[in-house]
Parts: sequence; C-alpha cells; structure tokens
Amino acid sequence: MASASSIASAIASKTKTKKKHFVAQKVKLFRASDPLLSVLMWGVNHSINELSHVQIPIMLMPDDFKAYSKIKVDNHLFNKENMPSHFKFKEYCPLVFRNLRERFGIDDLDFLNSLTRSAPLNSEAQGRSGARFHTSCDKRYVIKTISSEDVAEMHNILKKYHQFIVECHGNTLLPQFLGMYRLTVDGDETYMIVTRNVFSHRLSVYKKYDLKGSTVAREASDKEKAKELPTYKDNDFINDGQKIYIDEENKKMFLEKLRKDVEFLAQLKLMDYSLLVGIHDVERAEQEEVESEDNEAEEEGESDGGGIGTPPDSPSNTLDSTKPLSPGEFDPSIDVYAIKCKESAPRKEVYFMAVIDILQHYDAKKKAAHAAKTVKHGAGAEISTVNPEQYSKRFYDFITTILS
Amino acid sequence: MSSNCTSSAPISASKTKTKKKHFIGQKVKLFRASEPILSVLMWGVNHTVNELSNVPVPVMLMPDDFKAYSKIKVDNHLFNKENLPSRFKFKEYCPMVFRNLRERFCIDDQDYQNSLTRSAPLNSDSQGRFGNRFLSSYDHRFVIKTVSSEDIAEMHNILKKYHQFIVECHGNTLLPQFLGMYRLTVDGVETYMVVTRNVFSHRLTVHRKYDLKVGCHYKLHALFSKEAKELPTFKDNDFLNEGQKLQIGDDNKKYFLEKLKRDVEFLATLKIMDYSLLVGIHDVDRAEQEEMDVEGTGEEDEYENDGMGGGVLTGSFGTPPDSPGNPLNCGGFFGPGEFDPSVDVYAIKSHDSAVKKEVYFMAIIDILTHYDAKKKAAHAAKTVKHGAGAEISTVNPEQYSKRFYEFMSNILS
Repeated sequence: MASASSIASAIASKTKTKKKHFVAQKVKLFRASDPLLSVLMWGVNHSINELSHVQIPIMLMPDDFKAYSKIKVDNHLFNKENMPSHFKFKEYCPLVFRNLRERFGIDDLDFLNSLTRSAPLNSEAQGRSGARFHTSCDKRYVIKTISSEDVAEMHNILKKYHQFIVECHGNTLLPQFLGMYRLTVDGDETYMIVTRNVFSHRLSVYKKYDLKGSTVAREASDKEKAKELPTYKDNDFINDGQKIYIDEENKKMFLEKLRKDVEFLAQLKLMDYSLLVGIHDVERAEQEEVESEDNEAEEEGESDGGGIGTPPDSPSNTLDSTKPLSPGEFDPSIDVYAIKCKESAPRKEVYFMAVIDILQHYDAKKKAAHAAKTVKHGAGAEISTVNPEQYSKRFYDFITTILS
Repeated sequence: MSSNCTSSAPISASKTKTKKKHFIGQKVKLFRASEPILSVLMWGVNHTVNELSNVPVPVMLMPDDFKAYSKIKVDNHLFNKENLPSRFKFKEYCPMVFRNLRERFCIDDQDYQNSLTRSAPLNSDSQGRFGNRFLSSYDHRFVIKTVSSEDIAEMHNILKKYHQFIVECHGNTLLPQFLGMYRLTVDGVETYMVVTRNVFSHRLTVHRKYDLKVGCHYKLHALFSKEAKELPTFKDNDFLNEGQKLQIGDDNKKYFLEKLKRDVEFLATLKIMDYSLLVGIHDVDRAEQEEMDVEGTGEEDEYENDGMGGGVLTGSFGTPPDSPGNPLNCGGFFGPGEFDPSVDVYAIKSHDSAVKKEVYFMAIIDILTHYDAKKKAAHAAKTVKHGAGAEISTVNPEQYSKRFYEFMSNILS
C-alpha cells in the first residue's frame, strides 16, 4: 500500500493489522505536465491490470482483431491532484497487442512500469505531418500521436501484420506495435500508438537519418538542422559521405530481414516508409559522460553512459538488474536494433536501424493525388510516380548500397 | 471454487523469451460469478481499491471528501465477455472517507479487496427489512447489503458525524462498521450496496439468531430468522420468555454496556431509531458434535482445515481451497469455541460458570431510519408499517434509545 500512509498513521489512525502481502508496489501518482500524459499513464496501467484478469487464450480469434475496451471516468471531488476529473480511455484489440508484446519479448508488467512509473517525456522528433512523439521515461518505448486514418489502417493490416510476426518469430525491422489507444480529455480525442524505441534506452545517438531511397527533396531543412538532433535525409547521407561499417555477417542478417519486411509491405500495398538510422559514437559518448560527471552537482548524475537520465527508482526495473555495461556495449534483448561496427571501422560506433512510418497505403495516396493533383506528405513533397512494388525495390537497393 | 487459474495457458502458441522476474504473487482473478451484478461488484471493488492505492493517504479528511464520488463506465466490445457484462457502471461514494474508516476498523485495503474479489460473494439467507438482499464475502468476513437510494441519502447525511464518532471511540463500537458504499448499474438497472463487517464469525457457526428491537408498547420484540435448511427453526423464545440470559460475566457485560450506551446516545442525537440488536449464538458443544459427524461420514463438503470448531456444516460456511493462504487464516489452530478477536470483533465468550458453553455475537444493525422520515411516512399512510411486525410510532429517538439500552442490559448477566 501507499508508503505515504506512514505519515497519516502517525497522526490520525490506529492501524493494528500488519500488512503481510509481499507486493512491493509503489504508489503511482500519474503525475505529468500535461493531463493527456496522466490519462495515458492511467490508461496503460488500467489496461494491463484488466488484461491480468483475462485468461491468455491459446490462440487469437478473428473477433480479437475487431475488439476494443472502453472506459469513461467521471470523478467528483476525488483524485483531482494528478488526474483530470473527466476522461475516456479506449484500447484497441487488447488481446492482439498483448500477444504481440509477448512475441516481441516484452513482459506486460515491465511494459506497464516503463509507461507509468514516471511520465513519458516529450520528444523533439517530428514525424510526417507534425506527428507528436513521446518516449517512456526509461526510453524503451516511443509513443506516437497518430490520426484516426492511421488507426483505421492499423486495423486493416493488423491480422496480416500479426501473422507476419508469428512467422518471423518477432525477428523483423518493422515497427514493433505494442499498444494502440484513444484518449479523450476535455472533449478532444487523441490517438496514440506505442512502439519499441529503435534507438537505445542507454546509448545516445548523435546523428540521425531518415532514408527512403528516393532523391526528390531528400534533404534536411535549415530549420531542421538547427535542432539538437536533426533528422538528416538521403542527400545529406550521401553528401556527408556517411557510411555504415558493419561486418558481412551482420550485413547479411540485416538485409535478409529487410528483404522479407519490404516484400511484406509491398504485398500490403504500403509505401513511403523510411529506414531510421541512428549512430552512437562511443568515444564521443565517453567524452560527454566525463563532462557531465564534472557537472554532477547540478544534475541528477546518472552513470549509465550517454548522459541519459533515468528516474531514481529505475534500478528496480528487473531488466536493469544485470551487470553494468562498458562503453559501446548493449543488451541485445533490450536494444534489439543495435549493431556493432566492424573491427576495421574508422570510429567505434553502434548503429540502430529499423523501418518506420509504414501506415501509408497506396490507394489512399492515389485518392489524395486525384483530389489535389500533386501528393504532398509533410516536409519533402513527393510526386507519386512509383507503386508499392517499385518503392520497395528502390528502397531495398538504396539501403544495400549504404552498407559497406 | 474454480477461480484460481494460473495465468498462462500451457499449450500456448506464443514464444515467451522474457523470464518473469517480478515477485508479485497475484492470482488471476476472473470475477466469475453466478450473476452479472456480482461480477460487477467484484470488478468494482477491485478497481476502486487499486485506484485508491495510487492516491496518497491524506493527513486528514476534508469536507469535500464527504461529498465526493468516483464513477466509471465500462463499454467493451468483443473483449472480456466471459465473466463480465460488456457494459456496466460502477460508482463509489466518498472513497477517501471509507478508506479511512477501513483503516480505523483495522481492515487492510488489500485484505478487503481479496475478500471481495478472490471468489464471488455468496447469497445470504438473511433477509432484512423490506426484503433487502444480503450477500456475504466468500470468506464470510464482510456483509454486503442491497439498500435503497434513500438509505444512500441518509448515509450521506450521517457520514460526517459517524466518522467523527468512530474517531472518538477509536473504532470501538457496536454500530455497523461501514466499509464501502457503491452503486452498480447493469443492464440499465441501478443497485446500491453497502459493505459492513460481518457481525457473526467468519468461522464459528451461528446456531441461533435473534433480531431484537424495542416494540411499540415498550416490549422486547424478537424477530426470528430461519437458519439454513439443515437446522431446525427455533420457535421457542427461551431467554425472553423464561428470563434466561446471555451469561457473559460482569467484565464483559460492563464493557459491552459501556459501548452500547455511547452508541445509542449517538444514534439518539442523530434522531435515528428502529435499529435492532443482532444476536447470534454459537453452541460450542453442538459444533464439536457436528464436526465429528462430518468426519465420521467422511464428507468432502468444503472441509476447512484451520482447527476444531471450524464452521463446516451450514451451507454458507464453505471456503475455497485457497483460503489457508489468506494471511489472516494462518494464525494457528483454534480450539473449540475459540476465535481471533481482531477478526471476529463482536465475539464474546460465555462466562466460565455459564450453563452452556457458548460464544455470542452482538451488534447493532439497521441504523438508517430517521425519525423525520418516519413521521412523514406516518402522516402519509396513517399507520407506519415496517416489514414484519407493524408498528405505530409512539416513541421518539430519545425514548427508543433509552428503552433499547434497558432491554439489552437485561438480557445480559
């Protein structure tokens, strides 16, 4: 129960019962800067708890792909400190996403803790059409705000996506979809989808690329370049002379996965996806850590590399309780997309690469194109002259060339 | 009961690579019950106690807490249909107040939650006035009474003063221990429920039960209740007619009457009347005999293993196999007629020199009738009828309390 009860018991109550249950739960207040985040935390907490009372089925049924759970909260003079008094929370296909989490090696309670122990953080990353991003406090998960069209598209592909995950045993570069929700606060509906972070929860990324394999307007804008971690694009990659130094073995495994993935996407007539590439520079990170240790008096001085802060209670997260990792090292069961550079690389680096933004359907694009003559998608307008099949081939070829 | 399923299907098609390292030994609670309303009750109590665990315990209650409520509406589609209705609502009144009351009555929230959710509450044979429905938690520690919306309103009226009274007497009272108040909506039908601590024992069988009130002509009026069908109905009014008394000894009597006095004075100040003293009698020798009979026939009827004199016979006393795991059950074996006073708080042993070896359970019940409400009804209907035993109201709360106290003190020795 609440550890804060010790304060109350000193004053008013006389509790004689010893609390004999061995559940070491902390009080979660769902405190956040934004009511939407409080509702997200509350909602994920509620959804995982509900699921713990639903038997895990032997296999998913067709109805599970159409299901949802909806809850509406209306409090009066109760719990007003951290939560709005009125809100709604809807989870789409709870059993499907539970199954997906299991297949991606994510324990529901760990998932719950990551999203609820402390508020998710705003992320500077911007997706297409200014989609908003948050990361979980421990940086394991990314929460993306999406549109209702995206939710519809997810429903369309969910069965086949799930089947694909079953067949490849969760071994894929596609986004790991872990939960999909609709939050209603003050009458406004927000759709969110949770995926595993492509980047590391520990190792910092100093350079980031979004690659599609096309050449039209694939360059970071000046505004983008002014950011702390700009998202560079294809032309930047080429102009910078950037290379990904991974050995043959890794390259082979990576391309095999990529091939299967893009073939799957082409089958579903999805396109306009990107390869997100993040580079961790080991020496640079060590240097940053030394500098941050010098500044320790002001900061919260976390010592796990890359200057990434973690909430004070995270060491009790069971997945962290392994031995400490040296510079440039990672736990591949957590940082699933990480690939070490090869021995002969000029700098010691770790690469994080995966496919993102897969919800754009060709037919939806064509409709929009007919309506507007040219198809524009956020920054980087593209005139649609390719179909999904062509897109996938061009994409794959380009990625092959950037891996040395 | 079959509610203790483990959480993972053995023939699962999934490949779980993550080891589950968390040490929370939670059982899967399915909220399975014979009726949707019971499932919703279990779900609701589970939910509200969990919600409260995320709200810090305040230093003291504020006036707003006595007007507060939490409301939740669930609307599922093709999800979780096995044990719960797809649509239902659950409202908890004054959550912070009842949490505080539970604490003052030494009931841990987790234990409270477990009692009401591990297994479905059971229908109870007792019928209150107006045919209110009674349920008991599966472990018989708590009673759930279905009440009217007027009762809810009355509870709200008295709640602040009731809470204050509990603070002042340190939870030491014969008044009902109000532990939670809820409104459930299933299929568009609203049901109001109040949870109180069971007056009777969760273990020791009650063989005779009396509901004692002050009659309209200052007579002690006993309403008899039938026990479970296995037991004969007692028609004899032994101790009332023949002047027999409950022999609890001077110390117990003094202590009991002190509490009773405080309680009825409190009720009189609130202008509450028509309450009863509920008396239950556990016959130790008879219970031992009953247990031996059971052992003799080798009955496998939900046999409970926590010592002699454990309630075995009456249908309503079975406990699910996992109850020994409830930490409050692990308190060692009890001899015949013995009890844990922190659990069976109303239990009083008969005096050593008493004729029969008995354990008595006595407490005040039905405290929600307000004098003004009664008078209004009287004017409307000329005669005031209250369930069995029509009564024309010629007493006021003050008189009622005095007579009540006198009568009850006379039945004790």
